Amino acid sequence: MSLLKIEGVGKTYHMGKVSVPVLKDINLEIKKGEFVSIMGPSGSGKSTMMNLVGALDRPSAGRILLNDVDISKLSDDSLATIRQKMVGFVFQQFNLIPRLTTIENVELPMWFAGIPKKVRMRRARDLLVQVGLGDRLTHKSTELSGGQMQRVAIARALANKPEIILADEPTGNLDSKSGSEIAKILTGLNEEGKTIIIITHDASLAKMAKRIITLKDGEIVDDTVS
Amino acid sequence: MIQYLELTFKNLTYRKMRTFLTLLGVVIGITAIVALVSIGEGMTKSVNAQFDRLGADKIFVASMVAAGGSGEGLRDKDLNRIEKLPGVRAVIPVVTLVAGSEFKGEEKAIPITGVPAKEAEQVFSDAQAFRVLNGRWIGPGDRKKATIGFNIHDDFYRVKVSVGDKIEIQGNEIEVIGIFADTGDSNQNNRIFIDFDYLREIMNKGDEITSMVVRLDDVSKAEAVKIRIKEALEKNHDTTSFMVLTSEQLVKQITDSFKVIQVVFGGIAAVSLIVGGVGIANTMIMNVLERTKEIGIMKATGAHGSHIIKMIVVESGIIGLIGGSIGILIGYGISLGINIAAEQYLGANVLSTAVTMQLAGFALAFSFGVGIISGVYPAYKASKLDPVVALRS
Repeated sequence: MSLLKIEGVGKTYHMGKVSVPVLKDINLEIKKGEFVSIMGPSGSGKSTMMNLVGALDRPSAGRILLNDVDISKLSDDSLATIRQKMVGFVFQQFNLIPRLTTIENVELPMWFAGIPKKVRMRRARDLLVQVGLGDRLTHKSTELSGGQMQRVAIARALANKPEIILADEPTGNLDSKSGSEIAKILTGLNEEGKTIIIITHDASLAKMAKRIITLKDGEIVDDTVS
Repeated sequence: MIQYLELTFKNLTYRKMRTFLTLLGVVIGITAIVALVSIGEGMTKSVNAQFDRLGADKIFVASMVAAGGSGEGLRDKDLNRIEKLPGVRAVIPVVTLVAGSEFKGEEKAIPITGVPAKEAEQVFSDAQAFRVLNGRWIGPGDRKKATIGFNIHDDFYRVKVSVGDKIEIQGNEIEVIGIFADTGDSNQNNRIFIDFDYLREIMNKGDEITSMVVRLDDVSKAEAVKIRIKEALEKNHDTTSFMVLTSEQLVKQITDSFKVIQVVFGGIAAVSLIVGGVGIANTMIMNVLERTKEIGIMKATGAHGSHIIKMIVVESGIIGLIGGSIGILIGYGISLGINIAAEQYLGANVLSTAVTMQLAGFALAFSFGVGIISGVYPAYKASKLDPVVALRS
């Protein structure tokens, strides 16, 4: 069964009277447990694709099925629930909340999901131990290195046990050592059965995936399984 | 809810100066409300307390002649007629006037109240703050005797007047048998009290009466008795230059004028609180703008619009609540200060401000409400942010 099915999806932005098609008739299927890289130059539509798959945005045309549920026409609140339960984001800029501690950042998605404090704290601690930050629970994100912040972000993405981890240039702001550590964590998660989609233009990161999809000018130009 | 409070606390302590200034707006508003309303309530309370001592079972009848009314004023015939009315237990006539006096060679006009000697103590001591400092009240059979106000004893004449001294009024020697303690009311302090009949006799007042205190059998019949008194006076006189007031009306007349002051005070305070509310709204809008990216992150990690709304409304509500609490404390302090100053400069029991539980509760609820209302618009705006756009900011 496919976890994610994209059928004839297009996305067009309107800037005044000018229409800018960013994605054109995308058809794609990703199965549970896959590790997929989406590559392409800037402006190829990678980020738009991530926003659509991550339920942050709705397509202009076509359908997106997540676990056989069409998410392309859901309300804002239903999309929020999809993001809460099905998707975990890892961003290039880490996007931690600076006022909160490491463990509070990881707890946040569980808080939105209404999970009780005790359960939340235990799981957040476990996740941080899993990404090697068991000794940084009460640090503020400003007291962490880039690699550490990205590991917190991965722990946060895993908080509500999502179906898919969506990582947008997860190593883009990191030095090569931290970058390869993050790549290793993501590979490990995939080996445990998580579906992972990485959006990147870094070829060496993309190669960690078993399937590389290449976008150009809003269209899929290549889809290779290694 | 605890999570929202935790988050609020973190947010408020993050930008301390801004939080402080926002709080200040609310604090000033609530301080003003509490202090000003407490003064108003204090004035009402002290008047009510005075009239509580006076008792609700009384009706006051006064001639308006002295105040410019026409006609002949109250007479003994009125007293006799009113005494016989159903529902009336007793009528105490009073004459007030100013007469020439002489003490140790010094001549001076002096205000005098004439009240039946046998009833004087009962009528006045339960009615007002009269307390005898030295000697005693005039009593049954005390014709040429007087009990005098504190100022008459202290500094009315060049020489102090003491118990046993004699003051000459219209050529009649009157013996001072008692001195009242300071009542805090200069009108009461500068006055002497002598027997009603004797005062009319020496002043050739015939059967004139200035005012009457009518005691009732039953307080609940006050209105009916009042109408009967009016009718009786109309039968005795062609003109109706009389004021007939129940205790309740008398209190109401005064407290009504205080209410106007209270409303004006409250209005001023409310305006300042609205300004405080605008301050909260402004801060929350700034916070939302500043935290746009964070709101995007929260939305990406699964926050619903309702989470965002609650977060911001709780924060603004808490600002209101904290500001309100501080305002109540400061307002209470100011109110206490006014009390102390009033006692020092105006005398005891003249103005006793009061911060009631209702006032404090109202102020707290009001500040919380202002905080919440101020947060609604920024919260709604934040909840509607597009997560894609917010994340990019």
